[in-house]
Amino acid sequence: MRYDGARLAGLPNTPAAVRRPRFDGPFFVLSMLLLLIGVVMVLSASYPRAWYDPGHVTGGNAAYYFVRQLVFAVLGVGAMMFASCIPMPVYRRTAFSFLLFTLFLLALVPLVGVKANGSRRWLGVGGLTLQPSELAKLAVILSFSALICRYRGKMRSFRYGILPFAGILGAIIGLLVLEPHFSASVIILAVGAVMLFLGGVRIIWFAGAFGAAATGIAVLLTLFPYASSRLISWRDPFSDSSDQGYQIVQSLYTIGSGGLSGLGLGGSRQKFLYLPEEHNDFIFSVVCEELGFIGAALILCLFALLILRGYWIAFHCRDRFSFLVVGGVTSLLAVQVFLNVAVVTNLVPCTGISLPMFSYGGTALLIQLFELGIVLSASRDIPVH
Amino acid sequence: MANKTEAAALAGRQMLRRGAVLAAVFGVGAFSVLLARLYHLQITEHSFYEELAISQQLRSVPGTAKRGVIYDCNGNVLAVSASVDNVYLSPAEIEANKEDRALIAGGLSEILGLDYDEVYEKTGRRGSWYVTVARKIEADTAAQIRRFKTDNKLGGVRLETDSKRYYPNGRLACHLLGFVGTDNYGLEGIEARYNEALSGTAGRSLRATNAYGGEMLLKRYEEYRPGEDGCDLVTTVDASIQYYVEKHLRQAVLDYDALNGAGAIAMDVNTGAILAMASLGDYDPNHFLTVSDKAQILADSAATKEEAAAILAEAQARQWRNKALSDTYEPGSTFKIITLAMALEEGKASLGDSFYCGGSTVVQGRTNPIRCWKSGGHGSQNLTQAVQHSCNVAFVNIGQRVGAERFYDYCEAFGFLELSEDPDVNLTARTGIDLSGESGSIWWSRNTFCSKKNLSQLAAASFGQTFTITPLQLITAVSACVNGGRLMEPYVVQRMIAPDGSVTWEHAPKLVRRVISESTSRKVREILEQVVGDPQDGTGRNAAVTGYRIGGKTGTSEKVSLEARTGQKEYIVSFIGFAPADDPKIAILVFLDTPSDKSGIYISGGQMAAPVVGRMMADILPYLGVEPAHDKTEGAVMPNCVGLDLPEAAERLKEANLRCRTIGAGSTVTNQLPAAGTEIAAGTEVILYFDAEISPDVETLPELTGMRYDEARDTLSYYGLYLTTRSSVTDPARQTVGGQSLPAGTQLRHGGVVEVTLIDSGEDLLGKY
Repeated sequence: MRYDGARLAGLPNTPAAVRRPRFDGPFFVLSMLLLLIGVVMVLSASYPRAWYDPGHVTGGNAAYYFVRQLVFAVLGVGAMMFASCIPMPVYRRTAFSFLLFTLFLLALVPLVGVKANGSRRWLGVGGLTLQPSELAKLAVILSFSALICRYRGKMRSFRYGILPFAGILGAIIGLLVLEPHFSASVIILAVGAVMLFLGGVRIIWFAGAFGAAATGIAVLLTLFPYASSRLISWRDPFSDSSDQGYQIVQSLYTIGSGGLSGLGLGGSRQKFLYLPEEHNDFIFSVVCEELGFIGAALILCLFALLILRGYWIAFHCRDRFSFLVVGGVTSLLAVQVFLNVAVVTNLVPCTGISLPMFSYGGTALLIQLFELGIVLSASRDIPVH
Repeated sequence: MANKTEAAALAGRQMLRRGAVLAAVFGVGAFSVLLARLYHLQITEHSFYEELAISQQLRSVPGTAKRGVIYDCNGNVLAVSASVDNVYLSPAEIEANKEDRALIAGGLSEILGLDYDEVYEKTGRRGSWYVTVARKIEADTAAQIRRFKTDNKLGGVRLETDSKRYYPNGRLACHLLGFVGTDNYGLEGIEARYNEALSGTAGRSLRATNAYGGEMLLKRYEEYRPGEDGCDLVTTVDASIQYYVEKHLRQAVLDYDALNGAGAIAMDVNTGAILAMASLGDYDPNHFLTVSDKAQILADSAATKEEAAAILAEAQARQWRNKALSDTYEPGSTFKIITLAMALEEGKASLGDSFYCGGSTVVQGRTNPIRCWKSGGHGSQNLTQAVQHSCNVAFVNIGQRVGAERFYDYCEAFGFLELSEDPDVNLTARTGIDLSGESGSIWWSRNTFCSKKNLSQLAAASFGQTFTITPLQLITAVSACVNGGRLMEPYVVQRMIAPDGSVTWEHAPKLVRRVISESTSRKVREILEQVVGDPQDGTGRNAAVTGYRIGGKTGTSEKVSLEARTGQKEYIVSFIGFAPADDPKIAILVFLDTPSDKSGIYISGGQMAAPVVGRMMADILPYLGVEPAHDKTEGAVMPNCVGLDLPEAAERLKEANLRCRTIGAGSTVTNQLPAAGTEIAAGTEVILYFDAEISPDVETLPELTGMRYDEARDTLSYYGLYLTTRSSVTDPARQTVGGQSLPAGTQLRHGGVVEVTLIDSGEDLLGKY
């Protein structure tokens, strides 16, 4: 089999009628493995906070977060299976409806969203909360893939290669800024860029976009004081370790005290209310503390393998749309993992990015697993030899 | 079509290429960066972060080490610690458990007597886990709080053990003892100086906690590092002597209206042990922040809060100041003892020498002649008389005989200034007593003092002026003059006793140096005894206690620097005495700072300070078991009169030198007061009962000190109480009671006997210096 343009070029825009009954095994196994470890880590990391319950959420039930995460993990695997059964053309057909639906939800957020920590990011539906920004990530991948397929051959032009995409991104980012949701904006911009990069947009535009992004970030930093103060506490978290730098300093304590082999599963001490968000954005710090450098590196390797397998599936896709979607979902996963770990290790300024499959958060997990399900769906179309 | 396919193929190839770039960047590059970062944090900097993490996770909770007891030399407790409780709130818990803030505030403010609003505000301090409400509350109050807490199931109200220092004798020896702050750290006196020994080392428990200080679930880690209780201290202070000293000193401050208070030191002349030390105004170390009513009223009437605080702070600093140790003054004539001792030791003066005083003398380097206090002069006098008279002119002469260099040497030897190599440095010295707050003397440099052209420093120093020393330095040096010549280092702590009862440290009396010889010391004692003992010539005669041999020297010093500033003359009057004069055991120095002559008494050491020392000696010498020199020949013995009729009884009483009154209407004596064989004062009116019973009532002993002897005798017999004395009674109408064996206020049954010590009273010109 040849992995070259000729094959992709020769492929029809619509996939073959015959779908394989089985999806890609390694990708599935790696995702399940990570999910399993992630759910166990939620239990380990969350039980002290659930037990002490300083925020009056859990009523002292130590398994509160774990049980919820487990339920969503099971539901999420169901969603993954479901997604893997939907043929890729359906995604392509519904891509724009989905995008419009997402934009509608994003527009709802500033109006009726649930407010927490100074931002309005969640929609509450009967006890469940949903971040439409999670849906927006998928919407960007699907709609961009569909558009790139439609404008194939014209992607190097400004009118087709840039304008429609910039419009979509502009609308989404505009709504996210209202919340405000800085980290989701960054991820969506990154995913959009990845899609356009794959779609064949001229490299020069990325250079331009970089300049624009730099300007945009500068503007954001001046407009939103919380973002700039985070930048300061990033440069030297110890200068302000009791206030702005508290979270990141605690995260460094947590990671650093893990050492080579860690304190053992369940052995974290920092999770006893020292480390904020320990079962959420900072769960990987607890992983590092409990499982040590060895465990953390193994988990990162599992993520790397999953991501590489994702790209492998993309390369083997039968059609352009599948390639773009799988490449996009895989890149989204990679960006999120990288940014999360980079944040908790203070490589990049502190912002709220969850770790896929690990961080506590029901609907987000559900959506992530659904996205992986789409990859599995695409893998069913890989030709058999 | 071919073109289109080709273009599509080109685009497809580009896609794959770009996909491969992404896979390389996201799948390999990004993870390499993360792994490198993790390696840096977890391997390279592991110990750095681990240490920081552990230090925040372990809470070190100090335990309490029992602070040692301070005893007097007889084992009486002077300071002791007891467990008390601190009350605090945990508002976070109050909020978490939704406890009733109003109920808590109401209950606590009522039990503790606090302001409701203040407590209510504390219950609502969000996020806090520790807000102090009351410190060091007593056991019964703590019990009330505990009941209130359990009755209402209040988790947010908490108690913790603390310790509180008690001074059971209140103000007694407050300056010696000092006090401790709220953190149980010694702040003054022995408490400060021996803080380390007294406090011991608190044990501490190390415990892994969550970020809010609570238990770390499933990860219990607790380590207890045991501490050690503090040592008990046995001091040289004798609570009884201290009591007598304070009592008479307090009375003197009232009597003579001493504006700036007073001080007194009682020292064991042979060891340097401090038997008592007092300073007025004083304070109750149990409430060391409480100032005198006068200062409080002044503070209350202050215009601003800051002003009031400043007044209070100043008053506190003043009442905490141990004048006997921290004040320096010109000792005046009491210093003549030192001049006398050095002149005798050097052979520059002897008992047979004659000194002439014409009322003043001219000294080289001084424009005004030095005047003697007696304007007409003392005329010709021998050495003893010169001391008795406290003649300045004679002492200028004696000082010049010794010479400036030797004089300076002796001052060094007596501990008034440090031995120094550099003759141009103004010198200072301290006795080295084991108390905090000791000031140093201020002296001329050797070169200034010994200037050939200017003898005025030497002249003035000969009678104790132009330099300042502390009262403690003076009594230490005078003790050396009378104890055989040995300068001892003064001290207050005799021994330390470890919690297990073993003596860990015992003070050995420390000889600083021998200054004068045994024989010189004996001469000094003999001369000084004449200052007190000579009823005609002795300026110190007001310190005499009948039956006891007391030596001493008066002093009246002008506060020169003050006069220079304000033009107002102010004085410090003092007296230093020792007894028994032939074999001294105790020396007492009393000084009154800025007394007034409003009471009609001339401002002088002889008139004001000498009687105070006399009264102290009158109480202390019998207490110490010093036998009076005279036999008690003046007393009477109550004969047995029971069974006799009135004429027979009266006859028998007359033989015994007693008088009587009768109670009842019978014909024979059925009871008598006092019982047969009781030794009582001659001339006492006793009671004979004729067919009557002795009343079982008890009487309250009145204050006798200061009364004339016969007056005291008759006052007591009126109550059916009787007097005895071992002092010699020479003139019942002139001798006054200086001390009594039982304190005023004691409850006594009829027939009880009180022993008193007598002092001679009398005022004439001699006492004025």
